[in-house]
Amino acid sequence: MINFLFLLTLLIYLAASIFQTLSLALGNRTEAIAIRSTIEQIAFSGTAIGFAFLTLFIPLWWLQQGHFPMTHWTDSIAFFAWAVTLIYLIIVRLTQLRTLGSFVMPVAFIAILISYSFATHTAALPEPLQNYWLLAHTTLIFLAYAAFIAAFGFGLMYLITEQKIRKKTDTLLDNLLPSLGISDELGYRCTILGVILLTMGVIVGSLWTQYIKDVPWRWLDAKVVATLVTWFIYVVQIGFRQFWGWHGRRAAYTAIIGFVAVLCTYVGVDLFLDSMHTYR
Amino acid sequence: MHPIVSIGTSHHVAPIEFREKLAFSEAQLTEAVQHLRETYQVQEAVILSTCNRVEVYAVANSMPSNDAAAKMLVEFLSRYHRMSIESLKKCTYLHHNLETIRHLFRVTASLDSMVVGESQILGQVKAAYDASREAGGAGTILNRLFTKAFSVGKRIRSETTITTGAVSISYAAVELAKKIFNTLEGKTVAIVGAGEMSELTAKHLVSNGVSNVIVANRTYERAVKIAEKFNGTPLAYDSNLDFLIDADIVISSTNAPDYLIKRQPLTDIMRRRRHRYMFLIDIAVPRDVEPDVNKINHAFLYNIDDLEAVVASNLKDRQQEATRAEQIVTEEAKRFYDQLQIFQVNPTIKALHQQFREIADTELQACFYKASLTDQQAAAVNSMTQAIIKKLLHDPMKNLRYAVNDGDADHAQYVQALQELFALDVKDEEPEP
Repeated sequence: MINFLFLLTLLIYLAASIFQTLSLALGNRTEAIAIRSTIEQIAFSGTAIGFAFLTLFIPLWWLQQGHFPMTHWTDSIAFFAWAVTLIYLIIVRLTQLRTLGSFVMPVAFIAILISYSFATHTAALPEPLQNYWLLAHTTLIFLAYAAFIAAFGFGLMYLITEQKIRKKTDTLLDNLLPSLGISDELGYRCTILGVILLTMGVIVGSLWTQYIKDVPWRWLDAKVVATLVTWFIYVVQIGFRQFWGWHGRRAAYTAIIGFVAVLCTYVGVDLFLDSMHTYR
Repeated sequence: MHPIVSIGTSHHVAPIEFREKLAFSEAQLTEAVQHLRETYQVQEAVILSTCNRVEVYAVANSMPSNDAAAKMLVEFLSRYHRMSIESLKKCTYLHHNLETIRHLFRVTASLDSMVVGESQILGQVKAAYDASREAGGAGTILNRLFTKAFSVGKRIRSETTITTGAVSISYAAVELAKKIFNTLEGKTVAIVGAGEMSELTAKHLVSNGVSNVIVANRTYERAVKIAEKFNGTPLAYDSNLDFLIDADIVISSTNAPDYLIKRQPLTDIMRRRRHRYMFLIDIAVPRDVEPDVNKINHAFLYNIDDLEAVVASNLKDRQQEATRAEQIVTEEAKRFYDQLQIFQVNPTIKALHQQFREIADTELQACFYKASLTDQQAAAVNSMTQAIIKKLLHDPMKNLRYAVNDGDADHAQYVQALQELFALDVKDEEPEP
């Protein structure tokens, strides 16, 4: 039953991604004005329903496994998708910019697809790790990742709009994307949010190490290093922006580099390096 | 059925010399509406007078033919403005019933405007309607007609995009600026050189939130003169373009034979303004800004041709949308006309029912008075009488409504025949609230 619901969630996310992107592609084109808003409405409703389902799975798995579900890829990456959707919904709530969904919803969909393909696997979590430290640490880190993914979405939106304005290719009416200034500003705010959350997550994580007695801990863990590199990329971006006016296109490129760094930290380290943090 | 007729002239059929002779000033409007109603066989009237059109919408009093009603309006205009009927006929158009409705819907939806989709006409029609209503001109039929015209106008504005997209260079510039900056509030525009177009663009930018205006000219006196209009800062420039450091939007229209703003110096200026966005609008011919400036990060350059291209593409969109809007107008006009006919037939139907019932009531009273019936018998006779009325009226009423719905022109004659044959006293219905 849970499996079926999960498949359903996967399909809803797929539909939401496709419809949201389709809505952006149709733009404000005159022929499509009526159908576009319907398509976007479907996409957004899908996002909300998908998110509600996903929110249900976390307590369900928690009950099943007896601890916060964060051991296997299935749990972890589904939680990642959940965080991405949550941040997206909050941004829509604050700014009405549903077009962001065209960029972040596909990421969430791919995450759920990976999660689904591992769905039959489970792994036990070592007893000493089963506590609320885990919940706090991972929630903060994943929300930070989600904020960075939103910043990445805004970065792409910026680059597309910039290209259109510079190349003078359209009347700008076909284009539903917000102005350069808005994409840039919102991307920056997401980056700051991400850095704050990531910093808190890392602090919680390092405090946590003080309480773990039975599991060996080494500071030069691959995941820890990768996280610090990611953190550094974003902090440097914020600093350059403050002191040298690095915004706009450069900020957009940094958001994309940061996105790659997040992927390397989250997925790459697990696949290619040995780490304490590895999901089983 | 009262004929709804309209006479009018617009930029489509007449030059300004003719339109100005037909125009009604605001003061004249009230008087003209009252005059029309008192002197002619006109029950309701609304006069619309704008710089592009003069139109009179009227509902004729009794039931003259369409042509008679139209003739009446021609006569009114000719006498009121002291013009010959021949010259009027040459430069005006006349519409009847469905065509009048369709025409008003088109006008209100700005499909008949010089720039399709312009936004002023809706307000102008509203003002004309309000003024005529206050003068006692609009009654049940024109009230319905104009209310519907406004809702059709709104429907078209919301369901099509005929009103979106700048169709002038200066508005295109404003729209582009809005695509670049997150807000125009607090931004600074620099007008370099002088020119009507650059002043107009600056004016639109200011009304959209731009707060500071710098006016730069070769001669300080000219700069002061233009700056006064915007409450701006005047300055004289030579080769030093440092004032661009503060400018978020630059409108350039000098007579300089060479490029005034070049890539290399501007790159430097961009660095000094910490790469904040700069939108350069070059409307000078020959051009003022080196085209390569568009390659500088965060600097966006549009010249007059680029802006014209934006406008042309928007106009093309509007044309396409206008076709869709015309469909909506045709469909709404047809529906409204049908409703109006039923609405106009209803009083006759009601009066006929009323008359039958009154006759029956009188006869029943007489009958009950003569014959003493038990309650049960009285009830039976009563219900039989009602049934007879219902059955007698059923077919004629059904056929009348069919005739109306089929757009059968005969129904007006049916109505008239009914009214005359049965000597009905028909009162017009009040519109539903």
